[in-house]
Amino acid sequence: MNQEPASRIHKNAIKAWTVNALLFGLLWFIPAIFYAGIAISQNFNNETPWYNRVDWPLFLSLFLIALILYIMMAWVLPNLRWKRWKYEVSDNGIDMLRGIIIKKRTVIPINRVQHVDTRQGPVYRKFELASVAISTAATTHEIPALDNETADELRNTISMLVRKVKSDV
Amino acid sequence: MSEFRKQHPVAGVTQVIDSIKQNFITLLIVLFIGSSNTEGYFLYFLAAGLVISLFGGIFGWWFFRFRIFEDELQIEKGIFVKKKLYLSKDRIQVIDITEGILQRLFGLVKVEVKTAGGGTETATISAITREEAEELRTELRKRNNGNSNHFEDLEEDQEKKDQILSTWKLSTKDLVYAAFTSGNFGLIASILGAVSGQLNEMINEENIRFIYEIMPGYSDVTIYVALIFAIIVVSWLLSFLGVIFTYSDFRLHKTEEELIITRGLFEKKHITVPYDRIQAVRFVEGVIRQPFGYGMIYVESAGFDQNQKGRSIVLAPYISARAVSSFLNEFLAEYEEPEYGFKPPKKALFRYLRRPNYFLLLLVPVLWYFLNRGWLSLMLIPVLSILGWMRYKDAAVGFNNDILRMRYRTISRTTAIMKKNRIQAADLSQNPFQIRKGLVNFSATAASGAGGMNFGVEDLGNEDSLRIYDWVAGEKNIGRQHEGEEQNGTVT
Repeated sequence: MNQEPASRIHKNAIKAWTVNALLFGLLWFIPAIFYAGIAISQNFNNETPWYNRVDWPLFLSLFLIALILYIMMAWVLPNLRWKRWKYEVSDNGIDMLRGIIIKKRTVIPINRVQHVDTRQGPVYRKFELASVAISTAATTHEIPALDNETADELRNTISMLVRKVKSDV
Repeated sequence: MSEFRKQHPVAGVTQVIDSIKQNFITLLIVLFIGSSNTEGYFLYFLAAGLVISLFGGIFGWWFFRFRIFEDELQIEKGIFVKKKLYLSKDRIQVIDITEGILQRLFGLVKVEVKTAGGGTETATISAITREEAEELRTELRKRNNGNSNHFEDLEEDQEKKDQILSTWKLSTKDLVYAAFTSGNFGLIASILGAVSGQLNEMINEENIRFIYEIMPGYSDVTIYVALIFAIIVVSWLLSFLGVIFTYSDFRLHKTEEELIITRGLFEKKHITVPYDRIQAVRFVEGVIRQPFGYGMIYVESAGFDQNQKGRSIVLAPYISARAVSSFLNEFLAEYEEPEYGFKPPKKALFRYLRRPNYFLLLLVPVLWYFLNRGWLSLMLIPVLSILGWMRYKDAAVGFNNDILRMRYRTISRTTAIMKKNRIQAADLSQNPFQIRKGLVNFSATAASGAGGMNFGVEDLGNEDSLRIYDWVAGEKNIGRQHEGEEQNGTVT
């Protein structure tokens, strides 16, 4: 694919995604903890000490898988994801290029846009970021992690372009 | 009609039947699980559910009333939560009058009133007399613009709008052919699945001994084969009857602003599709139908029922591939058929050949391990490769100024035609293997119901896919490309 879209998303996106992944990534450890909990509580009245009730190789492999996923999600993927995200808004449409392993490029013709909104979760707010969601009659696409002003500006630009096109027709 | 009216009491019964239909799958599951338990207390659940829906039906009918008042269709309903639905006449776009089986027994009809716009709702009056329905329709179609002189013109206008410009009918012969070739593999698979769950119980020693006694000299393998064969025959019969019931007396009418479809043997359906709602047209050739040169035409329509994810409407249940062009010309003149300018390059052939075979990587080891002659499943490779080759041959994209046309095959062959300004989004995607080979998947999304419908062709060449993409995007990049080429002095 040549002629890639021009704009990149905000550099803070990497940090925000890392924080997000650090928070939600704790879920990866649930299987390991769950297993350990069940194993220890299983034969509680039994004389064997608690550390002998756990199958340590199994626990460690579960833990290790979780750890690898945790690190990948928190420090490797955000970087790659940021590097791949490019977008461009023109009179004709919104062009988006993204994807870490599978490269995906989407265009939404301006005259098909039904509404645009900006979204901001708690982590994004901390880093003064917002994402812009563009909805058509069939799909919703999101440009993530722009700084607040750019996001507002983009939202206004798109809705202005939409109004211009719609009044033309 | 300014007084509130009630529906015919049959409406209560139709509601009960509707709720049974909606919970059909739950019911089946309950029956399957319940029947394997020896205690019959699941019957109480069933009875309780039935009683509740019965009361729902009766009181639903009791509280439902409707009237036309001050240019609005007003409907009030709801047992515990009262719901008032007011539809303004100006916004009403479609009025469909349908006869269900139950309604026909009592000489009644069902009326569906649909409005235009985004967050739309369908108002359904499920049982009133035909006269009432006609009265309702004429009343709703009158538009008082306050000016009584104007009024007659409007009525004339309406008449002109209602005039049928041309009609397409499904002949009885074609209906029978359509039913014969309708083999629905999804249905077969689901019945096989449901039965195989019960199989273990059916095939116990007693039964087998019994079968041996009446049919000496048959092994259990032949019994399995016979069973599968029987299931295929039964499900084929079901889909045969399904087609006969659904598409009997099929007529497609064209008026100035909409297409009107009437169909059905017992349940007479009436479907109105305004032209400005149509998002895409599909011609689908099933595996059984394609050799005969026949297929089915669908349109995708947007809006109306927000609960419905996709909304595909059958325009022609059985039509010869050669007749498609003239059919489109007559009923959907704006949908031209641009020549196919783009096909997957030669280097994509191998990818096409092996893609359908991927799932064998999973299937063959399992079968090999569990079955005696499991390795025989390797014989699927040539079959699937032929499918891959057909996919390669069929994949094509073409466009002119306003129309995009795509042809692709999963199992059936689909030809999709959509207007450029109805394309909601276009996608290119590349996995690492495709990047190395310079191949790209292209897909375009049209709106259908409240969701979207995706049409896509796999493994196009890099430049080809970008040309199509740029055409959807408004040819911004093509302009740029030409500038670049001018600088290099390679303008063609």
